[in-house]
Amino acid sequence: MSLPLLLFILLAVFLVFLLGLAAKSPKGLPLTSEEVIDALSQERHYARLPQILQSLREDDTDFLRRRGHLELLSQIRGERKRIALRFLHYLEKEYQLLLEASRILATLAPELSAIGEYERLKRNLRFVLLCRYLRWRLRLGLQPWNAFGSISDMAGEMTLKLEMATAQLGERALMAADFPSFLNKGRNGPE
Amino acid sequence: MAAPEILRNLTWAITTLFEIILFSCILRRRVYRSHPVFALYGLVVILQEASAAFAVRYLNPHSIEYFNFAWSVQAVVVCIRWLAVTEIARRVLAGYSGIWKMASHILVLASAIILAYSIAVSGARWDRLITSADRAVELCIGAFIVGMLLFARYYRLAIANLERQLATGFCLFSCFWVINNSIYQHWGSSAATLWEVLSIFSFFATLLIWISAIRNATAPQQVSYPVPISVQMYGELSKELDSRLQVLNRRLSHLLHSQDSRS
Repeated sequence: MSLPLLLFILLAVFLVFLLGLAAKSPKGLPLTSEEVIDALSQERHYARLPQILQSLREDDTDFLRRRGHLELLSQIRGERKRIALRFLHYLEKEYQLLLEASRILATLAPELSAIGEYERLKRNLRFVLLCRYLRWRLRLGLQPWNAFGSISDMAGEMTLKLEMATAQLGERALMAADFPSFLNKGRNGPE
Repeated sequence: MAAPEILRNLTWAITTLFEIILFSCILRRRVYRSHPVFALYGLVVILQEASAAFAVRYLNPHSIEYFNFAWSVQAVVVCIRWLAVTEIARRVLAGYSGIWKMASHILVLASAIILAYSIAVSGARWDRLITSADRAVELCIGAFIVGMLLFARYYRLAIANLERQLATGFCLFSCFWVINNSIYQHWGSSAATLWEVLSIFSFFATLLIWISAIRNATAPQQVSYPVPISVQMYGELSKELDSRLQVLNRRLSHLLHSQDSRS
């Protein structure tokens, strides 16, 4: 069989595979825009993590090693791992929430830029892959302690920026005259 | 009568019966109101079977007249299938003006690329031009439907079960047609009976999906699509969301790079 013919068959099989993925209903009901705005306006759990992470700096546990409290050191490291994983979890959760918001926004947009949407998709894929990669590194015991320390240094400023952006987003969205008309979007879809 | 011929005639008869059942379901459930092109397609496939029976009865199946007649009818059926697919796409996406504009451009462009590629790799074999073109169009239809469903899934758009199953049926049929066509091109006329039987079976399976979708379809509801916001407001909100996504992404990158520099 020639290569083009084989490619046609493979392409058709691949399309059937993609169809199986695409035709499934997404899990759970999509969030309404009201829920997204509400969630964005709330204080996020991870906003408190800088303070937690501050207490988990590398130098905080150096004295334990020096004094020979190895058991305690390992216990603290286990805790750090758990906290680091939780940090990633919240980071990912917030990212997904923002993506959900951007999708809802896209359904309201009079026109979309294909490049902008592609960039967002690319960024999303990169984020998801990096998150998985980091999670596995943490599980394998390759904890990035220093990174968490530096994150805690910059987190205060970041959090402030995020809070400001969230507040603006909520205010502007609520000010829009058309906003209530799509609050129940997704719940009233065609059936 | 040879066994393969009996099997072929039997499957042909069963398929025609199910086409009639499908069309009666379309009429009984009044699907023609919401999906007029699909209803037309349902009618046209019945007429295609009738025309095939006529051609077999009055024309020599090995003559050029038979060939021209059969493929002309097929061209009409494929065109109406395309229109039925775009009708479904419009019902799924058109309520969201921004997504619809972008998706329709991308899907049409992707279809054109697939069509051009399919024709280009088919070579200059004029005897295979029609089957190659037919396969290219079917591949386009399949890719168009998958693209449409992927867009709907990505943006979490609500799709009625009827639309979802009609699209699934069209896509499965097109993909199996591509596979069958490729098999036929490779083995030639020695696989003609197999090709014909496989085509009939894949269409039969598609008919079952459609009949089940129409029978289980609830009465069409008034769909409430969101009212579009202004371009300016969209731009501002989108920019803010993007900047927040970038902040989170940078945070993650920072985490990763610190880790890499340490290890």
